[in-house]
Amino acid sequence: MTPATADISELISRCVLRDRAAFRTLYERTSAKLFGVTLRILKDRTEAEEALQEVYVKIWQRADRYVPGGYSPISWLVAVARNHALDVLRARKPQADDIDVALDIADSGLNPEQAAVASGEKSRIDRCLGELETQKAEAVRGAYLDGYSYEELAARYDVPLNTMRTWLRRSLIRLRECLSA
Amino acid sequence: MDGDRALAAEYVLGLLSPADRAATGRRLDSEPALAAEARLWQSRFSGLDAEFDVVAPPSRLLAAIEARAFGDAPKATGLANWWNNLALWRALTAGAAAVAVIALGFGLTRPAPLDPSAVAVQLVAALEQEGSATKFLALYDGATGSVRLTAVSGEAVADRDLELWYIDDTDAPVSMGVIPVSGRTEVPLPREAQIKFEDGTVLAITLEPKGGSPTGAPTGMIVAAGQAVAI
Repeated sequence: MTPATADISELISRCVLRDRAAFRTLYERTSAKLFGVTLRILKDRTEAEEALQEVYVKIWQRADRYVPGGYSPISWLVAVARNHALDVLRARKPQADDIDVALDIADSGLNPEQAAVASGEKSRIDRCLGELETQKAEAVRGAYLDGYSYEELAARYDVPLNTMRTWLRRSLIRLRECLSA
Repeated sequence: MDGDRALAAEYVLGLLSPADRAATGRRLDSEPALAAEARLWQSRFSGLDAEFDVVAPPSRLLAAIEARAFGDAPKATGLANWWNNLALWRALTAGAAAVAVIALGFGLTRPAPLDPSAVAVQLVAALEQEGSATKFLALYDGATGSVRLTAVSGEAVADRDLELWYIDDTDAPVSMGVIPVSGRTEVPLPREAQIKFEDGTVLAITLEPKGGSPTGAPTGMIVAAGQAVAI
Protein backbone atom coordinates (compact mmCIF):
# COMPACT_ATOMS: atom_id res chain seq x y z
CA MET A 1 0.00 0.00 0.00
CA THR A 2 1.46 3.35 -0.97
CA PRO A 3 1.19 6.29 1.40
CA ALA A 4 -1.25 7.95 -0.99
CA THR A 5 -3.85 5.21 -0.54
CA ALA A 6 -3.05 4.08 2.99
CA ASP A 7 -5.76 4.84 5.48
CA ILE A 8 -5.16 7.09 8.44
CA SER A 9 -4.65 4.22 10.86
CA GLU A 10 -1.95 2.73 8.67
CA LEU A 11 -0.30 6.13 8.22
CA ILE A 12 -0.09 6.52 12.00
CA SER A 13 1.42 3.03 12.29
CA ARG A 14 3.97 3.89 9.64
CA CYS A 15 5.01 6.94 11.67
CA VAL A 16 5.99 4.50 14.44
CA LEU A 17 8.39 2.98 11.90
CA ARG A 18 9.76 6.47 11.20
CA ASP A 19 8.31 6.65 7.71
CA ARG A 20 8.62 10.33 6.84
CA ALA A 21 6.61 10.08 3.62
CA ALA A 22 3.73 8.57 5.60
CA PHE A 23 3.97 11.41 8.12
CA ARG A 24 3.72 13.96 5.34
CA THR A 25 0.70 12.21 3.84
CA LEU A 26 -0.89 12.04 7.28
CA TYR A 27 -0.30 15.77 7.67
CA GLU A 28 -1.76 16.53 4.27
CA ARG A 29 -4.86 14.49 5.00
CA THR A 30 -5.55 15.60 8.55
CA SER A 31 -3.95 18.98 9.26
CA ALA A 32 -6.96 21.04 8.13
CA LYS A 33 -9.17 19.21 10.62
CA LEU A 34 -6.68 19.56 13.45
CA PHE A 35 -6.07 23.22 12.62
CA GLY A 36 -9.83 23.70 12.97
CA VAL A 37 -9.55 22.21 16.46
CA THR A 38 -6.64 24.34 17.68
CA LEU A 39 -8.20 27.45 16.11
CA ARG A 40 -11.62 26.91 17.68
CA ILE A 41 -10.18 26.36 21.14
CA LEU A 42 -7.41 28.96 21.11
CA LYS A 43 -9.29 31.55 19.01
CA ASP A 44 -6.00 33.08 17.93
CA ARG A 45 -4.37 32.27 14.61
CA THR A 46 -0.76 32.60 15.71
CA GLU A 47 -1.30 30.46 18.79
CA ALA A 48 -3.32 27.93 16.81
CA GLU A 49 -0.51 27.61 14.24
CA GLU A 50 2.10 27.14 16.93
CA ALA A 51 -0.11 24.57 18.67
CA LEU A 52 -0.65 22.71 15.38
CA GLN A 53 3.10 22.41 14.91
CA GLU A 54 3.52 21.04 18.41
CA VAL A 55 0.64 18.63 17.86
CA TYR A 56 2.25 17.09 14.76
CA VAL A 57 5.67 16.86 16.39
CA LYS A 58 3.89 15.04 19.23
CA ILE A 59 2.08 12.75 16.78
CA TRP A 60 5.42 11.87 15.15
CA GLN A 61 7.03 11.19 18.50
CA ARG A 62 4.09 9.43 20.14
CA ALA A 63 2.47 7.61 17.23
CA ASP A 64 3.18 4.37 19.11
CA ARG A 65 0.50 5.36 21.65
CA TYR A 66 -2.20 4.91 19.06
CA VAL A 67 -3.88 1.53 19.39
CA PRO A 68 -5.60 0.54 16.11
CA GLY A 69 -9.19 -0.47 16.76
CA GLY A 70 -9.31 1.52 20.00
CA TYR A 71 -11.33 4.20 18.36
CA SER A 72 -11.30 5.88 15.02
CA PRO A 73 -7.88 7.24 14.08
CA ILE A 74 -9.19 10.67 13.20
CA SER A 75 -10.86 10.87 16.63
CA TRP A 76 -7.54 10.00 18.21
CA LEU A 77 -5.80 12.76 16.26
CA VAL A 78 -8.53 15.25 17.18
CA ALA A 79 -8.15 14.24 20.84
CA VAL A 80 -4.38 14.82 20.68
CA ALA A 81 -4.95 18.26 19.13
CA ARG A 82 -7.77 19.16 21.50
CA ASN A 83 -5.81 18.12 24.61
CA HIS A 84 -2.78 20.06 23.49
CA ALA A 85 -4.85 23.16 22.75
CA LEU A 86 -6.46 22.86 26.19
CA ASP A 87 -3.03 22.68 27.83
CA VAL A 88 -2.03 25.88 26.02
CA LEU A 89 -5.35 27.52 26.90
CA ARG A 90 -5.17 26.64 30.59
CA ALA A 91 -1.56 27.77 30.82
CA ARG A 92 -2.24 31.25 29.54
CA LYS A 93 -3.77 34.12 31.46
CA PRO A 94 -7.52 34.50 31.18
CA GLN A 95 -8.37 36.94 28.43
CA ALA A 96 -11.30 38.10 26.37
CA ASP A 97 -12.30 35.37 23.95
CA ASP A 98 -14.39 37.39 21.56
CA ILE A 99 -11.89 37.53 18.74
CA ASP A 100 -13.67 36.50 15.59
CA VAL A 101 -11.72 34.13 13.43
CA ALA A 102 -12.41 33.95 9.73
CA LEU A 103 -12.65 30.32 8.76
CA ASP A 104 -12.04 28.85 5.35
CA ILE A 105 -14.27 25.83 5.13
CA ALA A 106 -12.82 22.89 3.22
CA ASP A 107 -13.69 19.25 2.61
CA SER A 108 -14.11 17.01 5.68
CA GLY A 109 -11.51 14.52 4.42
CA LEU A 110 -13.25 11.43 5.82
CA ASN A 111 -13.64 8.25 3.82
CA PRO A 112 -17.15 6.73 3.73
CA GLU A 113 -16.45 4.23 6.52
CA GLN A 114 -15.05 6.87 8.86
CA ALA A 115 -17.94 9.12 7.97
CA ALA A 116 -20.37 6.34 8.91
CA VAL A 117 -18.71 5.66 12.28
CA ALA A 118 -18.50 9.38 12.92
CA SER A 119 -22.13 9.86 11.99
CA GLY A 120 -23.17 7.08 14.42
CA GLU A 121 -21.39 8.80 17.30
CA LYS A 122 -22.69 12.13 16.09
CA SER A 123 -26.34 11.15 16.06
CA ARG A 124 -25.98 9.50 19.50
CA ILE A 125 -24.42 12.50 21.23
CA ASP A 126 -26.76 14.90 19.44
CA ARG A 127 -29.80 12.89 20.55
CA CYS A 128 -28.59 12.61 24.16
CA LEU A 129 -27.64 16.28 24.40
CA GLY A 130 -31.12 16.98 23.04
CA GLU A 131 -32.58 15.37 26.17
CA LEU A 132 -30.85 17.93 28.40
CA GLU A 133 -32.10 21.44 28.96
CA THR A 134 -30.83 23.70 26.18
CA GLN A 135 -28.47 25.71 28.38
CA LYS A 136 -26.96 22.61 29.95
CA ALA A 137 -26.42 20.96 26.60
CA GLU A 138 -24.80 24.17 25.38
CA ALA A 139 -22.49 24.19 28.39
CA VAL A 140 -21.33 20.63 27.68
CA ARG A 141 -20.75 21.48 24.03
CA GLY A 142 -18.89 24.64 25.02
CA ALA A 143 -16.61 22.64 27.29
CA TYR A 144 -15.80 20.12 24.56
CA LEU A 145 -15.70 22.33 21.48
CA ASP A 146 -14.43 25.63 22.88
CA GLY A 147 -12.53 24.30 25.86
CA TYR A 148 -14.46 26.49 28.30
CA SER A 149 -13.46 26.08 31.95
CA TYR A 150 -15.94 26.03 34.84
CA GLU A 151 -15.03 29.69 35.48
CA GLU A 152 -15.84 30.69 31.92
CA LEU A 153 -19.05 28.67 31.91
CA ALA A 154 -20.14 30.24 35.21
CA ALA A 155 -19.53 33.72 33.80
CA ARG A 156 -21.25 32.87 30.55
CA TYR A 157 -24.42 31.60 32.22
CA ASP A 158 -24.14 34.08 35.07
CA VAL A 159 -24.29 31.56 37.91
CA PRO A 160 -21.92 31.04 40.86
CA LEU A 161 -18.98 28.72 40.16
CA ASN A 162 -20.18 25.98 42.52
CA THR A 163 -23.66 26.07 41.05
CA MET A 164 -22.16 25.70 37.58
CA ARG A 165 -20.09 22.77 38.75
CA THR A 166 -23.04 21.03 40.36
CA TRP A 167 -25.36 21.40 37.42
CA LEU A 168 -22.82 20.40 34.86
CA ARG A 169 -21.95 17.26 36.83
CA ARG A 170 -25.64 16.35 37.11
CA SER A 171 -26.01 16.94 33.39
CA LEU A 172 -23.03 14.68 32.69
CA ILE A 173 -24.53 11.89 34.80
CA ARG A 174 -27.83 12.17 32.90
CA LEU A 175 -25.96 12.31 29.63
CA ARG A 176 -24.02 9.19 30.57
CA GLU A 177 -27.22 7.22 31.14
CA CYS A 178 -28.47 8.15 27.70
CA LEU A 179 -25.11 7.55 25.99
CA SER A 180 -24.80 3.98 27.28
CA ALA A 181 -28.45 3.08 26.64
CA MET B 1 -20.20 5.20 40.52
CA ASP B 2 -21.96 8.31 39.22
CA GLY B 3 -19.20 10.35 40.85
CA ASP B 4 -16.50 8.55 38.90
CA ARG B 5 -18.55 8.74 35.73
CA ALA B 6 -18.84 12.50 36.04
CA LEU B 7 -15.17 12.73 37.05
CA ALA B 8 -14.10 10.82 33.93
CA ALA B 9 -16.22 13.16 31.80
CA GLU B 10 -14.75 16.23 33.51
CA TYR B 11 -11.27 14.79 32.88
CA VAL B 12 -11.97 14.27 29.20
CA LEU B 13 -13.56 17.70 28.88
CA GLY B 14 -10.58 19.33 30.58
CA LEU B 15 -12.66 20.87 33.36
CA LEU B 16 -10.56 19.72 36.31
CA SER B 17 -8.09 21.92 38.19
CA PRO B 18 -4.44 21.09 37.48
CA ALA B 19 -4.13 19.24 40.81
CA ASP B 20 -7.33 17.22 40.27
CA ARG B 21 -6.33 16.55 36.69
CA ALA B 22 -2.96 15.14 37.77
CA ALA B 23 -4.57 13.05 40.53
CA THR B 24 -7.17 11.67 38.12
CA GLY B 25 -4.45 10.93 35.57
CA ARG B 26 -2.66 8.80 38.16
CA ARG B 27 -5.89 6.96 38.98
CA LEU B 28 -6.42 6.24 35.28
CA ASP B 29 -3.07 4.47 35.20
CA SER B 30 -4.05 2.10 38.00
CA GLU B 31 -7.83 1.77 37.69
CA PRO B 32 -8.95 0.03 34.50
CA ALA B 33 -12.64 0.75 35.19
CA LEU B 34 -12.03 4.48 35.39
CA ALA B 35 -9.79 4.34 32.31
CA ALA B 36 -12.54 2.50 30.40
CA GLU B 37 -15.00 5.16 31.52
CA ALA B 38 -12.72 7.93 30.22
CA ARG B 39 -12.32 6.10 26.91
CA LEU B 40 -16.09 5.77 26.62
CA TRP B 41 -16.54 9.49 27.18
CA GLN B 42 -13.78 10.32 24.72
CA SER B 43 -15.42 8.12 22.13
CA ARG B 44 -18.93 9.52 22.73
CA PHE B 45 -17.77 13.14 22.73
CA SER B 46 -15.93 12.49 19.46
CA GLY B 47 -19.42 12.57 17.93
CA LEU B 48 -19.09 16.35 18.25
CA ASP B 49 -15.83 16.41 16.24
CA ALA B 50 -17.69 17.18 13.02
CA GLU B 51 -18.40 20.60 14.50
CA PHE B 52 -14.73 21.51 14.39
CA ASP B 53 -14.36 23.30 11.08
CA VAL B 54 -11.86 22.15 8.50
CA VAL B 55 -9.41 25.01 7.98
CA ALA B 56 -6.37 24.73 5.74
CA PRO B 57 -3.27 25.76 7.70
CA PRO B 58 -0.69 28.03 6.01
CA SER B 59 1.50 25.94 3.70
CA ARG B 60 4.72 27.06 5.42
CA LEU B 61 3.84 25.05 8.55
CA LEU B 62 4.72 21.63 7.16
CA ALA B 63 8.39 22.47 6.62
CA ALA B 64 8.61 23.93 10.13
CA ILE B 65 6.99 20.82 11.59
CA GLU B 66 9.31 18.48 9.69
CA ALA B 67 12.36 20.44 10.84
CA ARG B 68 11.19 20.12 14.43
CA ALA B 69 10.07 16.50 14.20
CA PHE B 70 12.98 15.10 12.23
CA GLY B 71 15.76 17.36 13.53
CA ASP B 72 18.86 18.14 11.56
CA ALA B 73 20.65 14.84 11.20
CA PRO B 74 24.35 15.42 10.53
CA LYS B 75 25.33 14.52 6.97
CA ALA B 76 27.94 11.84 6.55
CA THR B 77 31.04 13.19 4.85
CA GLY B 78 33.19 10.06 4.76
CA LEU B 79 36.23 11.93 6.09
CA ALA B 80 38.29 9.57 8.23
CA ASN B 81 39.36 11.24 11.51
CA TRP B 82 36.08 13.08 11.54
CA TRP B 83 34.76 10.31 13.76
CA ASN B 84 37.44 10.66 16.38
CA ASN B 85 36.28 14.12 17.20
CA LEU B 86 34.47 14.08 20.55
CA ALA B 87 32.58 17.29 19.92
CA LEU B 88 31.17 15.76 16.81
CA TRP B 89 29.88 12.70 18.64
CA ARG B 90 28.27 14.98 21.18
CA ALA B 91 26.57 16.93 18.42
CA LEU B 92 25.40 13.68 16.91
CA THR B 93 24.00 12.60 20.24
CA ALA B 94 21.98 15.81 20.47
CA GLY B 95 20.82 15.56 16.88
CA ALA B 96 19.88 11.95 17.28
CA ALA B 97 17.16 12.91 19.73
CA ALA B 98 14.90 13.43 16.78
CA VAL B 99 15.82 10.12 15.23
CA ALA B 100 13.52 7.25 15.57
CA VAL B 101 12.88 5.85 18.95
CA ILE B 102 10.08 3.49 19.71
CA ALA B 103 8.85 2.96 23.21
CA LEU B 104 8.13 -0.72 23.12
CA GLY B 105 5.31 -1.80 25.33
CA PHE B 106 3.12 1.11 24.37
CA GLY B 107 3.18 -0.52 20.99
CA LEU B 108 0.49 -1.52 18.63
CA THR B 109 -0.63 -4.69 20.27
CA ARG B 110 -0.97 -4.05 23.97
CA PRO B 111 -3.82 -1.96 25.39
CA ALA B 112 -3.25 0.56 28.18
CA PRO B 113 -2.91 0.66 31.09
CA LEU B 114 0.41 -1.08 31.51
CA ASP B 115 2.44 -2.19 34.43
CA PRO B 116 5.37 0.26 34.19
CA SER B 117 7.80 -2.18 35.80
CA ALA B 118 7.16 -4.71 33.06
CA VAL B 119 8.41 -2.40 30.34
CA ALA B 120 10.96 -0.29 32.19
CA VAL B 121 13.90 -2.45 31.21
CA GLN B 122 13.10 -2.59 27.54
CA LEU B 123 14.21 0.13 25.19
CA VAL B 124 14.12 0.22 21.46
CA ALA B 125 16.01 2.43 19.07
CA ALA B 126 15.58 2.58 15.32
CA LEU B 127 18.94 3.13 13.68
CA GLU B 128 18.88 5.02 10.44
CA GLN B 129 20.52 7.93 8.70
CA GLU B 130 19.34 10.36 6.06
CA GLY B 131 20.62 9.21 2.70
CA SER B 132 21.50 5.71 3.90
CA ALA B 133 19.62 2.52 3.05
CA THR B 134 20.95 0.72 6.12
CA LYS B 135 18.35 0.50 8.86
CA PHE B 136 18.33 -1.53 12.04
CA LEU B 137 16.02 -1.89 15.00
CA ALA B 138 17.76 -2.31 18.34
CA LEU B 139 16.04 -3.75 21.41
CA TYR B 140 17.76 -3.64 24.75
CA ASP B 141 16.56 -6.19 27.25
CA GLY B 142 17.59 -5.49 30.84
CA ALA B 143 16.99 -9.12 31.78
CA THR B 144 19.79 -10.38 29.53
CA GLY B 145 21.87 -7.21 29.45
CA SER B 146 22.20 -7.43 25.71
CA VAL B 147 21.04 -5.61 22.63
CA ARG B 148 19.11 -7.53 19.98
CA LEU B 149 19.62 -6.09 16.53
CA THR B 150 17.31 -6.71 13.62
CA ALA B 151 18.38 -5.58 10.15
CA VAL B 152 15.47 -3.82 8.48
CA SER B 153 17.19 -2.92 5.24
CA GLY B 154 20.64 -2.46 3.75
CA GLU B 155 23.12 -4.41 1.70
CA ALA B 156 26.63 -5.66 2.21
CA VAL B 157 29.46 -3.48 0.89
CA ALA B 158 32.44 -5.28 -0.65
CA ASP B 159 35.50 -5.47 1.63
CA ARG B 160 33.71 -3.61 4.41
CA ASP B 161 32.03 -4.58 7.66
CA LEU B 162 29.43 -2.81 9.75
CA GLU B 163 30.53 -1.98 13.27
CA LEU B 164 28.20 -1.07 16.12
CA TRP B 165 29.12 1.67 18.58
CA TYR B 166 27.79 2.59 21.98
CA ILE B 167 27.92 6.33 22.68
CA ASP B 168 27.00 8.37 25.69
CA ASP B 169 27.20 12.10 25.68
CA THR B 170 30.57 12.55 27.32
CA ASP B 171 32.83 9.72 26.24
CA ALA B 172 34.31 8.45 23.03
CA PRO B 173 32.33 5.75 21.20
CA VAL B 174 32.82 2.22 22.54
CA SER B 175 32.87 -0.59 20.01
CA MET B 176 30.26 -3.32 20.37
CA GLY B 177 31.83 -5.25 17.55
CA VAL B 178 31.19 -6.11 13.94
CA ILE B 179 27.60 -7.00 13.13
CA PRO B 180 26.05 -8.94 10.24
CA VAL B 181 24.40 -6.85 7.55
CA SER B 182 21.20 -8.88 7.58
CA GLY B 183 19.12 -11.00 9.94
CA ARG B 184 19.07 -10.82 13.71
CA THR B 185 21.94 -10.81 16.10
CA GLU B 186 22.39 -10.43 19.84
CA VAL B 187 25.22 -8.26 21.12
CA PRO B 188 26.13 -8.11 24.82
CA LEU B 189 26.83 -4.64 26.21
CA PRO B 190 30.58 -3.98 26.56
CA ARG B 191 31.71 -5.10 29.99
CA GLU B 192 33.03 -1.75 31.09
CA ALA B 193 31.64 -0.71 34.44
CA GLN B 194 30.28 2.66 33.39
CA ILE B 195 28.34 1.35 30.45
CA LYS B 196 24.59 1.20 30.76
CA PHE B 197 21.83 1.19 28.24
CA GLU B 198 19.47 3.93 29.32
CA ASP B 199 17.64 7.07 28.38
CA GLY B 200 19.83 9.01 25.96
CA THR B 201 22.04 6.12 24.95
CA VAL B 202 22.97 6.37 21.29
CA LEU B 203 23.82 3.46 19.06
CA ALA B 204 25.55 4.11 15.77
CA ILE B 205 26.70 1.88 12.95
CA THR B 206 29.73 2.76 10.83
CA LEU B 207 31.23 1.25 7.72
CA GLU B 208 34.67 -0.10 8.63
CA PRO B 209 37.43 -2.18 7.05
CA LYS B 210 36.91 -5.97 7.18
CA GLY B 211 37.11 -7.17 10.76
CA GLY B 212 36.26 -3.78 12.23
CA SER B 213 38.02 -0.53 12.96
CA PRO B 214 41.78 -1.01 13.21
CA THR B 215 42.12 1.80 15.74
CA GLY B 216 39.34 1.02 18.22
CA ALA B 217 37.60 4.25 17.27
CA PRO B 218 35.19 4.72 14.38
CA THR B 219 37.00 5.46 11.12
CA GLY B 220 34.33 5.06 8.47
CA MET B 221 31.18 6.90 7.68
CA ILE B 222 28.11 6.49 9.81
CA VAL B 223 25.36 4.55 8.08
CA ALA B 224 22.78 4.48 10.85
CA ALA B 225 22.27 5.98 14.29
CA GLY B 226 19.48 6.27 16.83
CA GLN B 227 18.82 7.20 20.42
CA ALA B 228 16.91 5.38 23.11
CA VAL B 229 14.51 7.17 25.41
CA ALA B 230 13.32 5.78 28.71
CA ILE B 231 9.66 4.85 28.68
